[in-house]
Amino acid sequence: RYVRQLQRLQLLFSPTAADARGARQFVEEAAQDFARQHPDVVLYVSPHSGPGPAPVLRAEYLNGTVRDELIASKTSEEIVQLATKLANQSGLDIIRIRKPFHTDNPSIQGQWHPLTNKPSILTVQGPRLQPE
Amino acid sequence: RRSEKPNWDYHAEIQAFSHRVQENFDLDLLKTAFVNPCYIESEEARRRQLGLDKDAVALQLQENSGLAERGLRFARAYLEQCFEGAYPELPAKGIEALVNFLTSQELVSYVAQNLSIQDLTLCRDFPAPPDVLQRTFLAVIGALLESSGPERTGMFVRDFFIPQLIGKDLFEIWEVVNPMGLLLEELTKRNISAPEPRITRQLGVSTVLPVYFVGLYCDKKMLAEGPGETLLAAEEEAARVALRKLYGYTENRRPWDYSKPKQGLAAEKAISSN
Repeated sequence: RYVRQLQRLQLLFSPTAADARGARQFVEEAAQDFARQHPDVVLYVSPHSGPGPAPVLRAEYLNGTVRDELIASKTSEEIVQLATKLANQSGLDIIRIRKPFHTDNPSIQGQWHPLTNKPSILTVQGPRLQPE
Repeated sequence: RRSEKPNWDYHAEIQAFSHRVQENFDLDLLKTAFVNPCYIESEEARRRQLGLDKDAVALQLQENSGLAERGLRFARAYLEQCFEGAYPELPAKGIEALVNFLTSQELVSYVAQNLSIQDLTLCRDFPAPPDVLQRTFLAVIGALLESSGPERTGMFVRDFFIPQLIGKDLFEIWEVVNPMGLLLEELTKRNISAPEPRITRQLGVSTVLPVYFVGLYCDKKMLAEGPGETLLAAEEEAARVALRKLYGYTENRRPWDYSKPKQGLAAEKAISSN
């Protein structure tokens, strides 16, 4: 069955800073809908008062990776899109995938090895007899 | 420990856990399932240290050992039944080895860690040792058994334990000392004559790395063929390949069936046989 890999989202923002306006709008309007649509993600909203660090959306995944996304000067819709993107990701590192295909069964009829099409010893033909 | 960092709401986390696994839990049972005996001892020791009167602030928590035991028994019975249905030729020792592997500490603790159970357990040490994680996960299964009944719990066990067998070979899990003897027993049960080993192919006989392909023939018909470095190793490998074919555990067998079950009779039988 499908298990959503996102464990919790922490929204750290400041209620007075100017660039956290989108975060504040998100909390007022869209946060409840988001939480209702994703009941398996725990959403924490923690405003820290005063001019602190930039507003950030921290995502924690089931395999332990923590990902921070800056939400300074983003509108509420953009934050919703960001949150859904994080919710649909898994916690694996975001690195270049070397090949876009992977198969657990690289060969169906058996991998070729130097002995595949050679006749076995039991059917080896002996040296030709002298013609009479 | 994650529960001691900021932003932690235990009740919300437990609700999210039940949604993540797509199961309806009875939340009180689930909360007792996460409580370990070592946690209760450490809490009582801490309260005694702080000088609190024991009766005044008694801990109202129950442990998870009963739930864990019930979960373990159900999981073992259900898995045994699954394997008996899927591989009817496999002997009892093989099924036992498979079930032991699936309920072993490392596997269960690996599954539990990737389901965030290590954050929700209440135990004394950090990070939680694998036997604590195993006990907690089995207690969660026991709690699910009490809340939703044997059918849903059976589907849960099937969805989380059986994918761990993907890509694994039978003889990696089940250690067989004498595959040739086991093969002879199996063949006598089916009234087939004893196998005759013959060398099929050989490469590099006089080098450091020879390769011998030994085939086992019964009544002049090929049973199995296996490679090996020496003649004895090749014969043993051929016996193992033959056993895999007989038990139906080859690499190209039909994958496991994860569809919704139509009848709940199978899981009920598992409960009644406990």
